[in-house]
Amino acid sequence: MNNKLPGRGPLSRRSFLAGAGGAAALVTAAGCGDSTPMTALPTNTASTTNAITDADILNFALNLEYLEAEFYLRAVTGSGLSDADVGSGAGAVTGGTQVVFKTPAIQQYAQEIANDELAHVRFLRKALGSAAVSRPAIDLSNSFNAAAMAAGIGSAFNPFADENSFIVGAFTFEDVGVTAYHGAAGLLTSKTYLAAAAGILATEAYHAGEIRTLITELGAPYLTYANQISALRAAAGGGAETMLSGSTIVAADSNSISYDRTTDQVLHIVYLSAASGVVSKGGFFPNGLNGTIKATAS
Amino acid sequence: MEHITETELQLQNDKRTRRSALLLGGAALAGLALGQKAFAQTGPTDNDILNFALNLEFLEAQFYTLATTGMTIDQVGLSTKSGGGTAGGAVTVKANPKVTFTTPLLQQLAGEITQDEQNHVKFLQAALGANAIAQPKIDLMNSFNALASAAGLGSTFDPFASETNFLLGAFIFEDVGVTAYQGAAGLITSKTYLDKAVGIHNVEAYHAAAIRTRIFQAGTAAQSASQAIARTRATLDGTGNDDIGVGVTNGAATIVDNDANGMTYARTTTQVLSIVYGGGAAGTGGAFFPSAMNGTIK
Repeated sequence: MNNKLPGRGPLSRRSFLAGAGGAAALVTAAGCGDSTPMTALPTNTASTTNAITDADILNFALNLEYLEAEFYLRAVTGSGLSDADVGSGAGAVTGGTQVVFKTPAIQQYAQEIANDELAHVRFLRKALGSAAVSRPAIDLSNSFNAAAMAAGIGSAFNPFADENSFIVGAFTFEDVGVTAYHGAAGLLTSKTYLAAAAGILATEAYHAGEIRTLITELGAPYLTYANQISALRAAAGGGAETMLSGSTIVAADSNSISYDRTTDQVLHIVYLSAASGVVSKGGFFPNGLNGTIKATAS
Repeated sequence: MEHITETELQLQNDKRTRRSALLLGGAALAGLALGQKAFAQTGPTDNDILNFALNLEFLEAQFYTLATTGMTIDQVGLSTKSGGGTAGGAVTVKANPKVTFTTPLLQQLAGEITQDEQNHVKFLQAALGANAIAQPKIDLMNSFNALASAAGLGSTFDPFASETNFLLGAFIFEDVGVTAYQGAAGLITSKTYLDKAVGIHNVEAYHAAAIRTRIFQAGTAAQSASQAIARTRATLDGTGNDDIGVGVTNGAATIVDNDANGMTYARTTTQVLSIVYGGGAAGTGGAFFPSAMNGTIK
């Protein structure tokens, strides 16, 4: 009982991380090596910490919440954030159509997460006040196709095609949000913002736990897709992934502590770029994020 | 007796040593007490908070380990002793508590959570070192009966009797763990500990979501029971409104236990104590901790 549980499988949490380099080759030959930093806050963020304000970090989070809110709201209602929730001069959103839910429970799950992400957008915009960035341009179509290609799923993937594909689409975001907020929590100087970030972050972890549970219930091929996406995220985002199975619902390290990612690592993932190199746009954000945290340092 | 034997001398020396140690100990305790008083004005120390968390992790680890193996954590190789070697308190539980699982994915989830909670105990013990508290007395029998009565679910409740009962038993802990870590996060001064606490907080949220998703799927009776438990927790912590059971509200599921801002709730240590003591007085304990917790926050 003290050892690995039988269901945890041959790929332990650690060994999966170590093996993430292979998937990096799918993205590009350039970014294979760096899958080590995942416990301490890596230096590339630390070196710029002095320049980063709490508002910068909250705006970084707001960009991610715009993305999630657009994804879920469009899936559930067919339309995205209203003009009142996106700021002036907001970027356009490409793709995203109402999913035809056949299972009432899945629709109810989706509605709840959509409500939460909308609430997060509104909360962060309110907390930031006039400093809040507007919604950047968001791509929910070409991005998923490119991710599917890079992950080896196929030449195209439409997360709005049916309710099961929707769950896989949701999986693409949720664990990333958890790692992003976890990494950001340590950078915040305000205790008030820290408390707020912790509250949003735990909600993202609930979402992630729920989505991961549902995917294990769906089984193949969705479970395979999810793990291909997970490997892609690991390759671009410094490891920090736990291969999904019935006995690994939680994404966490060998101490059962969830991963964190630097803003650079998160940017590499959402830009669908290699793990190294300076990038400032791509993937889900074709014109980049809005705000000061936008380009990767390396 | 003509002369003092070597043994007697040794005894005398021992007594003297003990006596001086006691005196010294008394002074040290007085100093500590003063120190605590000083700290009380600015909040608990990081060690106080980690020990508070360790109490909760002992409770969770015992519950899950007993449910999945029929054994206590010390029987499977973990230490319940304090960092200084004080023996851990007893665990009160029914005979043969091992749950008969019939759903493979649920059994795997239970195994995973067991491993995670054991890891949390070990991690906190390692972080605290000599300062780690011993396991307090834990009750996993009368406690559930008392809570069931308070929640209007009957005069007895055996969380080990069936899969659904196990889910409800787990439900009682997981959301409380999330709120406790969230409340504690703002009190921790060390950035390193904060990062780890946030990471554990996330993992508890993954657990809570997985458990709540399965309660949702178990049907309306299980959902109603979770709502009754949530109401009871909210009553015990004195707010009456900071806890949401599993169900459907306005077409949206309530998998996440959070507020209108999409944020999970935070509880103070006092509120958490009131819940796990079943309303018992601080310092006295009750329910899951019949002789109170160990450590300074109790």
